[in-house]
Amino acid sequence: MGAVENIQITDAKRRYSAGVLKYAQMGYWDGDYEPKETDLLALFRITPQEGVDPVEAAAAVAGESSTATWTVVWTDRLTACDMYRAKAYRVEPVPNQSGQYFCYVAYDLSLFEEGSIANLTASIIGNVFSFKPLKAARLEDMRLPVAYVKTFRGPPTGIIVERERLDKYGRPLLGATVKPKLGLSGRNYGRVVYEALKGGLDFTKDDENINSQPFMHWRDRFLYCMEGVYRASAASGEVKGHYLNITAGTMEEMYRRAELARELGSVVMMVDLIIGWTAIQSISNWARENDMILHMHRAGHGTYTRQKSHGVSFRVVAKWLRLAGVDHLHAGTAVGKLEGDPMTVQGYYNICRDAKTEIDLPRGIFFEQDWGALRKVMPVASGGIHAAQMHQLLDLFGDDVVLQFGGGTIGHPMGIQAGAEANRVALETMVLARNEGRDIRNEGLEILRTAAKSCQPLRAALDTWGKVSFNYTSTDTSDFVPTASVA
Amino acid sequence: MAINATCESTASPPVNGGASHSLTHGANGSLASALADTGVNELLGELDRDLIGLAPVKTRIREIAALLLVDRLRRERGFSAGGPSLHMCFTGNPGTGKTTVAMRMATILHRLGYIRKGHLVAVTRDDLVGQYIGHTAPKTKEVLKKAMGGVLFIDEAYYLYRPENERDYGQEAIEILLQVMENHRDDLVVILAGYKDRMARFFESNPGMSSRIAHHIDFPDYQADELALIAQRMLDAMHYRFDDEAKIVFDDYLTRRMAQPHFANARSVRNAIDRARLRHAYRLYSHPDAATSDESLTTIAAADLLASRVFADGDTR
Amino acid sequence: MRVTQGTFSFLPELTDEQIKRQIEYCLDKGWAVAIEYTDDPHPRNTFWEMYGAPMFDLRDAAGIIQELAACRKTFPQYYVRVTAFDSTHGVESITLAFIVNRPANEPGFRLVRQEEPGRTVRYTIESYAVAAKPEGARY
Repeated sequence: MGAVENIQITDAKRRYSAGVLKYAQMGYWDGDYEPKETDLLALFRITPQEGVDPVEAAAAVAGESSTATWTVVWTDRLTACDMYRAKAYRVEPVPNQSGQYFCYVAYDLSLFEEGSIANLTASIIGNVFSFKPLKAARLEDMRLPVAYVKTFRGPPTGIIVERERLDKYGRPLLGATVKPKLGLSGRNYGRVVYEALKGGLDFTKDDENINSQPFMHWRDRFLYCMEGVYRASAASGEVKGHYLNITAGTMEEMYRRAELARELGSVVMMVDLIIGWTAIQSISNWARENDMILHMHRAGHGTYTRQKSHGVSFRVVAKWLRLAGVDHLHAGTAVGKLEGDPMTVQGYYNICRDAKTEIDLPRGIFFEQDWGALRKVMPVASGGIHAAQMHQLLDLFGDDVVLQFGGGTIGHPMGIQAGAEANRVALETMVLARNEGRDIRNEGLEILRTAAKSCQPLRAALDTWGKVSFNYTSTDTSDFVPTASVA
Repeated sequence: MAINATCESTASPPVNGGASHSLTHGANGSLASALADTGVNELLGELDRDLIGLAPVKTRIREIAALLLVDRLRRERGFSAGGPSLHMCFTGNPGTGKTTVAMRMATILHRLGYIRKGHLVAVTRDDLVGQYIGHTAPKTKEVLKKAMGGVLFIDEAYYLYRPENERDYGQEAIEILLQVMENHRDDLVVILAGYKDRMARFFESNPGMSSRIAHHIDFPDYQADELALIAQRMLDAMHYRFDDEAKIVFDDYLTRRMAQPHFANARSVRNAIDRARLRHAYRLYSHPDAATSDESLTTIAAADLLASRVFADGDTR
Repeated sequence: MRVTQGTFSFLPELTDEQIKRQIEYCLDKGWAVAIEYTDDPHPRNTFWEMYGAPMFDLRDAAGIIQELAACRKTFPQYYVRVTAFDSTHGVESITLAFIVNRPANEPGFRLVRQEEPGRTVRYTIESYAVAAKPEGARY
């Protein structure tokens, strides 16, 4: 990788005479570069076109995501361009993936505007993913220097304060998404909320595409849902919540919906990822000012996170969302119906919850990340999970997670309240057993069956779903260990 | 002592062929295999090796271990006698190893299943007795809660009782202690410690306490040769050594020091070594040009000891 | 009705042995355990009365069980909960809280609706027991 054409041209006359140079020659590759503590680091997985030297490809990524254009420009010389140039400093083949390379790029802190994910993403993923010399490129991980992290406000509430507000400790929280996703009237929709919360769940949830459609306008949804929330709260003596989806066509409309959620006494509201980074940061500020838990539904992320060769890894999206400031984030289930290899998913959870994330290659974490006292995001496991997996979920994810059983609550043969009760009993039973030192990973099902003897709804849940599992090979797995799928 | 004999027999195969190390292997179970299970043998061995002298103390600890072990076997066969009371009193002069032995005792009692956690909470009067009315009970109770599952070691326990002051709150602490010693035998072991004569007077005035202490263990003063051995151990642990001359001088030092007032056994040895280290360091420092070999860095010479005031005639320090 | 605050309210009442095992779990993690009681179980009543300060530096559950027994004896008809605190940086909060005593009869809560324009409602949750009697005479 020390070929002559990959060495930066330092002679000013040659370097800045009009024409086209290789990116490496322009100075976007420096194999000896020692990243500074204040640099942003990015790891790309790149697949260069046939015949393209991986080092030159890495330099191109660094160039196109910082100052370069396709040809030499003399105006570079009006700037401290050596500093502004991002530097690819390491390229190595991906284990067992021919044609793919991991390329590490360092960016100087002064390339970025403080507190703006929009600016960060415009730089890092703005151009390079369409760049012709690359067949594919994927942003695998980023290291954000503490100096940069501190320019963001982070989650408005965070795990600790959320628990204190809800008065719920020592166990995962339980939720369910109202189903069917579309078509219920406000009155019928609120019924599901009431039944599920009264039965024992902590939260219910709007789905990502519930906004203000002809079958149910948003005000109706808010009014009926909050009636259900407060009725269930009075019936149980617990704080309950419904993630009111305030996603709308304009920011003004989102604020209007957020205001009503607050007026009605909701503790939580939600937005979809597709509202965009700027909207997310704005609504996060609103949530902070109004003591509202902000739930993030990662709608649409699969379009760029799922394929291993191209896009942006969810671990990077999770980092950006923690900076941007959300309180809940869907981060996968490992055992449910949606994509996610267990260790990779655990990596996402660690990003949400760590004070400092350590390098952990089997979990896909390439950089150490100090979160600089930014609050912690509560991960949400949702999609095709049910009570019979309670031991696996608790074992994989621990206490700080919202477990959402939508179908697993509403589809219960004895009704929604019974479905909620089955989940809550299964959860409390498993936490009790774990704390007592039982080996829940191996004895979990037995522990559930014993508990089911005195809980008819749990028995019915185990009978109905006890054998359901989603055993498909994950597409997004670590390159560093063979990963086993959880049954 | 019977237990000694069985200790040695652990090397031979257990009676039942070694199929099970459980304590419940029927009428044929040997004491040896039961003992092996607890790992107490190793602890008693360590005690023998690590602690110099203290023969009567070690004997008593072995007896207590034997009692608990046999008790366990008896219980498993249905011969119940109720849990034995194991509150103790350690008497002896300062530096005779009372605290060290108490810590070992906590571990041994834990291994034998008599206490649940095996930690030691060491306190004195100030930790138990308050200065104002109403302060003593919460203080004592808090200490007791911390000690539960382990051993509560009350050093200089006689200070709890101050007959000269009839309003002394120490009596309140004693009452609470007595209650817990009687009703929570399963939860903790109390060890009182202090000078022998003062403990005797304390018990005379507090017969309730006296009657609840099952084991009185006296820690004798160390002999000069034992103290020399203790010094040797301390030096080894700190990577120092006496040269040949220093060894002889140290023996002389011990003889002189033991005759002086305020002699505190192992603690005095520790202090003597600490001061010798100081002089050793200053000796090297005063000759900065001399080569510092490993040898010179680790060797305490006679001069480092002779500078002690113990050798100055007529000086009592 | 049954107040289902706390980590284990959906399970049958825990036995003292079960409570002890949960406390042991907390102590093993280095958490301080406290006992709290109240006769106002409103979901937003955060500050139950402390039955003594949180118990720091304990190794064994016996001392806490003893305190719990004393608390139940003094307040047999109150809600009593065991809470655990973790002082680790980044947590510094409660890590487990479960009810270990409750009144024989739990009348529950009334939902008061204050109707406002545009079908908006302001909700208030009111304890029947608290509304009926003063503190100390409720259960």
